[in-house]
Amino acid sequence: MLRESSDRQGTLDSLNLQGAVDHSDSGVPHDSLLTAFAEAAVRQTDALPGLRDRIAAELGPQELVDSAGVVANFQRMVRIADGCGIPLDDFTKEASEDWRHQLGLHQYASAANTA
Amino acid sequence: MTFAYSDLNLPIRQTTINAHRDSWLRIARPGRWWTGAERVEIARLQREARELHAASSEILPEAAVFAIQKLVVDNANLNRDFYDQTIAAPGMSEDHYVELVAVVVHALSVDEFHRALAIPLEPLPNPQPGDPSRQRPAAAEQKWSWAPIVPKSGLPPELAQHYGPLEWGANVLSALSLIPENLGWLHDLSEAHYLSFREMRMPDPLRAISRPQIELIAARVSALNECFY
Repeated sequence: MLRESSDRQGTLDSLNLQGAVDHSDSGVPHDSLLTAFAEAAVRQTDALPGLRDRIAAELGPQELVDSAGVVANFQRMVRIADGCGIPLDDFTKEASEDWRHQLGLHQYASAANTA
Repeated sequence: MTFAYSDLNLPIRQTTINAHRDSWLRIARPGRWWTGAERVEIARLQREARELHAASSEILPEAAVFAIQKLVVDNANLNRDFYDQTIAAPGMSEDHYVELVAVVVHALSVDEFHRALAIPLEPLPNPQPGDPSRQRPAAAEQKWSWAPIVPKSGLPPELAQHYGPLEWGANVLSALSLIPENLGWLHDLSEAHYLSFREMRMPDPLRAISRPQIELIAARVSALNECFY
């Protein structure tokens, strides 16, 4: 799933792995708002209520609900991956090699279990 | 009625409501290795794990309590040593661990949906009576993840379909298959919160946000969790 996102042109730049809510132009509509919401929801920060209101106002209430769903889903999926020590799937290992290094993902502690 | 969202001014999809109710039923029922009471206790401790005090339980092994906390608040630092120590502890096994992970992550996902939308957390279900079945699938095999997994050919058809064309499924899908029922749970909550396994192969599934927007959020959550996979 994350792999698919990274295959899509423009998406990778908005992962924003090093900063907080900084944003580069990815071409994905409302990218900075959605990534800020994801961060606030994961970390349960004080920014969350305001970001909720902004998504509801600027995108719509169904968009807000669907965004929350994606956050909830991946809070689960990352724990399955980390908690079960699964390796990368063969069909993506080679395809993602370059950008995994480029983004520094090998520095994650979980890389030792997954690579 | 559980998960009565009708009073909220939010368009919660019926698929989501159904999956949340189903998750609570699944948690409350005896599993293969834990009783209903133990499964509800696992879900309770999942909620307490963020409160930065040492959680405790009168009915779960100490290693289970520790594993729940690690899964919730320190998932980026889980490793093989942790797994080996957990399954070797009194009252634990590979099977207990896999079932525990499933209860933790699915309960957490439902709770996270609520937190993201400022919806009060749903009271946990009352446990159902009965004993665990204590049945390990005969086809379970040690492959690439820490715990054994079950191939497509060892699953009932309604669950085997979730692997798609692959005999061992994608790694993140088969990871919890030592308890085969987890595959249906995994799918149904994916469909409710993200996409069904079939929709994952579609470039433009029917959601209010576009596929690139969906995947952008997914990638951000994964990065914040420092999840290499």
